[in-house]
Amino acid sequence: MTAAIGTRPPAHGLRILRVEVAEGLRAIVREPTALFFSVLFPVGFYALFTTIFGGQQGFVAGLPYAATNLATFGAFGVVSVMLMNPGTAVAEDRTRGWLRVKKVSAVPIGTTIAAKVIAALPYAVAVMLAFSAVSLLVAGPVLEFGSWTRLMVALLVGSLPFALLSLAVGFVLSAGASAAVLNAVLLPMAVASGLWFPLEMMPPFVQNLAPLLPTYHLSRLALAQLTGADAGVHVVALLISTAVAAALAGWAYRNLRV
Amino acid sequence: MGVMTDVLDVTGVHHRYGATTALAGVDLRLAPGECVALLGPNGAGKTTVVGLATGLLAVQAGDVRVCGGDPRRAATRRHLGVVQQSMGFPPTETVGELLRGAAVRAGRPAAAASPAMAEAGVSQLRSRRVRKLSGGQQQRVALAMALVGDPDLLLLDEPTVGLDIAARRDFWRAIAARRDAGAAIVLTTHIVEEAAAVADRVVVLHRGRVVAADTPAGLTARLSDRTITARTTLDDVALRALPGVLSVTRDGTRVRVATVEPERVLRDWLARDHELTDLRVEGAGLEQALFALTGEDPGTAGGNADPDTHTDLGTAKLEVPA
Repeated sequence: MTAAIGTRPPAHGLRILRVEVAEGLRAIVREPTALFFSVLFPVGFYALFTTIFGGQQGFVAGLPYAATNLATFGAFGVVSVMLMNPGTAVAEDRTRGWLRVKKVSAVPIGTTIAAKVIAALPYAVAVMLAFSAVSLLVAGPVLEFGSWTRLMVALLVGSLPFALLSLAVGFVLSAGASAAVLNAVLLPMAVASGLWFPLEMMPPFVQNLAPLLPTYHLSRLALAQLTGADAGVHVVALLISTAVAAALAGWAYRNLRV
Repeated sequence: MGVMTDVLDVTGVHHRYGATTALAGVDLRLAPGECVALLGPNGAGKTTVVGLATGLLAVQAGDVRVCGGDPRRAATRRHLGVVQQSMGFPPTETVGELLRGAAVRAGRPAAAASPAMAEAGVSQLRSRRVRKLSGGQQQRVALAMALVGDPDLLLLDEPTVGLDIAARRDFWRAIAARRDAGAAIVLTTHIVEEAAAVADRVVVLHRGRVVAADTPAGLTARLSDRTITARTTLDDVALRALPGVLSVTRDGTRVRVATVEPERVLRDWLARDHELTDLRVEGAGLEQALFALTGEDPGTAGGNADPDTHTDLGTAKLEVPA
């Protein structure tokens, strides 16, 4: 045979992950309109909320509303892009046939899924940078750089299970149906977790429901980065969500209808 | 890979989609350097065989091995190169990026992209966006991606649909070179002449079963002198009821009956229709042989085989068409 003799360096899995992620990043850089419009909706919504309620005092003791809102609304921002984007993208790949090309290649299932999750992170980064810019413009600096960085890291890492859930839906449904289903999951979950309005304003049954939702735990984890509260239970809840979503995504990919 | 291991070993495979039976007991084995064409009408089970061999589908009953391994495992699929009919290339990737990615996925250095691009004749397209290329060029890119991992088994699912004659010839020339170097090849196609020209063996699938497996010449020989055409007063239902009739089709005023027992069919037919005229018993080309076996015309099943130019496979050579 003519091609070079195959070697299998120990970092083979990482090399595959790198080319898969690079493909996803090139798609964003070369056709940035998808990213722009995905980010536009949550950012516009956030700008509206902050402008209207910007002067109010926060509900978490001692912190200005602008700061806590960056945490809770930020949770909505990252979840909205991570839940919507990877799923609709893989659904389109599957319809075109490209996902089948990936699936018959020698790439392990976990690598494909991890790459798709990582390649979605620029969407979450873009949302949070835009939110932070809006917050700075409207309310001025309300966070130390250290707190802001911790908040960013918590929101980005905490958004990963939502990308997995998104993939699970996109592996099963068409692009259009995925978008509809994911939207139908996103909006009620955001409201019932107190991402738009403080939970205290919600009826009691919603307040009781919230701790069952991963979005709630993400927003509490984000808030804890500002208040210093113990976030152990939220980390555990998000880890469980990640495990469940990863299992669903793995199962859906293994049983892909192509 | 062990010396004696078959490159592809499909044993007793059954497959169902819900209530629909796609495969009902299929066996297929390929040694290194063999080229097998899977022929059959749409729905015969060709795509299911390819799906099982590439690990897209889970085996429900029976066994499928690629170089001794389970194709559902990623490591086994390193032995595979696959060309799909429709690749669905992403719009943002260039040819070079796709090939480097394919090389790394197949466990090769990214530099393996260059010889594969040269082999498929797409080196000069390396910085072009793949979606801007013509269909023929895209299919050559798909070929390069399949070759870049230096596969032991090439699976080609309707690989030349939409290609012109020159592009098809170049495609099969590259495949033949790989076969000569020891790669085994499975191709599915509707183009009977193509199967006859490039395959060592033709496996005819019909309703999920292998109804024939032979060299193109052998398949034709077994079915020679077994197509009867005539003008008759009998209708199709009456003709199909004759013992030994495989299929019945009309061509204007003439009727064509496929059978493996022409004498028996003719005795009954003549006894029932005293006005039978214009009788002819014909030798079968591969296309008629296929038609006789499956009762369906491969030329009407989405392929572009020309019904007027049947290749006489008694004389067909197993060479790439020049």
